[in-house]
Amino acid sequence: MKENNTIKFLLLIILLVISCLLSLFYGGSESIHLNDVFSDNFIFWHLRLPKTITAIIAGCTLSAAGLILQIIFRNPLAGPYVLGISSGASLMVAISILAGGTLHLFSDLFIGKTFIVLSAITGSFLITLLILAISKKVNSNIVLLLIGLMLSQICGAIQTALEYFSDANSLKSFVIWGMGSLSNTTNFDLMIYFPLALIFLLALLFFIKPLNALLLGENYAQNVGINFRSNRFYLILISSVLTGLTTAFCGPIAFIGIAVPILSRMIFKSSKQHLHIISCLLLGSILLLLSDALANSAIKTISLPINMITTFIGAPMVIYLMFKNKSW
Amino acid sequence: MEKKECIVLKNADLGYKKNNTNVSILNAVNLKFYTGDFIGIVGVNGVGKSTLLKSLCGLLPTLSGEILIDQQPVSDYLLNDLAKKIAIVLTEKIGGFNLTAYDVVAAGQMPYTNSFNRFEKENLAIIESAIKITGISAHQHKLLNELSDGLFQKTIIAKALAQQTPIMLLDEPSAFLDYASKHDLFLLLKRLANEENKCVLVSSHDLDLLLKYCTKLLVISNKSIELISVSEAKTNAVFKEIGGGFI
Repeated sequence: MKENNTIKFLLLIILLVISCLLSLFYGGSESIHLNDVFSDNFIFWHLRLPKTITAIIAGCTLSAAGLILQIIFRNPLAGPYVLGISSGASLMVAISILAGGTLHLFSDLFIGKTFIVLSAITGSFLITLLILAISKKVNSNIVLLLIGLMLSQICGAIQTALEYFSDANSLKSFVIWGMGSLSNTTNFDLMIYFPLALIFLLALLFFIKPLNALLLGENYAQNVGINFRSNRFYLILISSVLTGLTTAFCGPIAFIGIAVPILSRMIFKSSKQHLHIISCLLLGSILLLLSDALANSAIKTISLPINMITTFIGAPMVIYLMFKNKSW
Repeated sequence: MEKKECIVLKNADLGYKKNNTNVSILNAVNLKFYTGDFIGIVGVNGVGKSTLLKSLCGLLPTLSGEILIDQQPVSDYLLNDLAKKIAIVLTEKIGGFNLTAYDVVAAGQMPYTNSFNRFEKENLAIIESAIKITGISAHQHKLLNELSDGLFQKTIIAKALAQQTPIMLLDEPSAFLDYASKHDLFLLLKRLANEENKCVLVSSHDLDLLLKYCTKLLVISNKSIELISVSEAKTNAVFKEIGGGFI
């Protein structure tokens, strides 16, 4: 059993290396040669490498957020995108870009970025709390999912209204950003994105015991000594920060957060969450890196939106689970 | 064996909070339970048996008055310390997320593990013995969703055993068990009370089992709560009413 898991992890690590290379060398219209890496090649060092690193961070953060949400809601169909949490973050970013534009906040790059990141986190936190309040009233997994869908529609509608009132420049950045993209992150952005993501992913390690206990439900978790309410609050905070961060830098990325934890439970037949945290980080990175490579190399000279690829992977999985009605 | 007070209720109102108003189900309860007690809780559906059990282990708040566990109010305990005092078996179903029977029993040892939930040799030995005592060894690696209702019930009871607490609360643990398993369970609980001096409270509608194995009965009706000895049961008006004339 244990040796089996070691082999699986080794395979995942090998797969991660391969997908990194694919994303680095084929993740754009221009293919890169090995000697470009050792020279001062602009495309490699300033476009490809930041994009690959972004894909890894985005994959890790969204998958971890999805894992947390699925456990908190005890619902394998929960995830930041399907519950409308990414949309909440998007909406707050849209508002902040509009407000920031009028307040001239963006003259300073650092203040501007921080402002956007904070609003994205606030947006995802508020929507998560709202969903949590609703989930206490409804018992059905499917109804919860529908409510999440409606919430993201509402957020989308408000965003459209905002776009209508914005000038041409902001509108363009809205629309491009709203499609979700891994290539808008600069090396400067990574200096904010990477350390914050790392801190909150590491924080998750201190919640292994609560995560394990939460699987048993509120009452039994409490009876084996885990404070349900306070742990749930901190976990929601972590998942909101992780989702908000990635949404701020990459826009709303679809279905990674829901698909990866499900995949992880299918591969590792265990309920131990330390195992799933690690495998979600690996799988999330791999899935997003491969999606990126696919998006850029499927059709020559055209780069497809990343969300199109992730939706093709994630959505069928959700449908499959609904039919199967088995709790992964 | 020496008997000492382990649960004391002083003028306690029990129930739940809804929109910040107290909904009291059991009022002004005064009770004392001792180590080595094996107490059967009887009462018709909805009378407050589960409310009492959940209040004793802090899952529901004490609305007024006091509940003392080993001389200390329930609300003053650190959750992890309370988890080492009281184990509960509820009627709710859990499952999914690859949870196996073994995982649930192992959760019973969670209060004794470090913050990374690492199980040491002695933890594993206790989990193993709880699995053996409840007779679920052959099914321990099955997913919870694959277990029959009876086996699921035994799994939760094994979790409570693995918690190694001086007090055990069981809410209708015999509901889904087959005839032999019911008797096995009550024999086990009786042995835990007698030999390990545990205080065991069990709610059940199997009145004949309670009469056969328990030391005392807690008879709950809408009007009263009384703790009687088993020999008094046949002459107790409320108990006779609950039995509907069939006992």
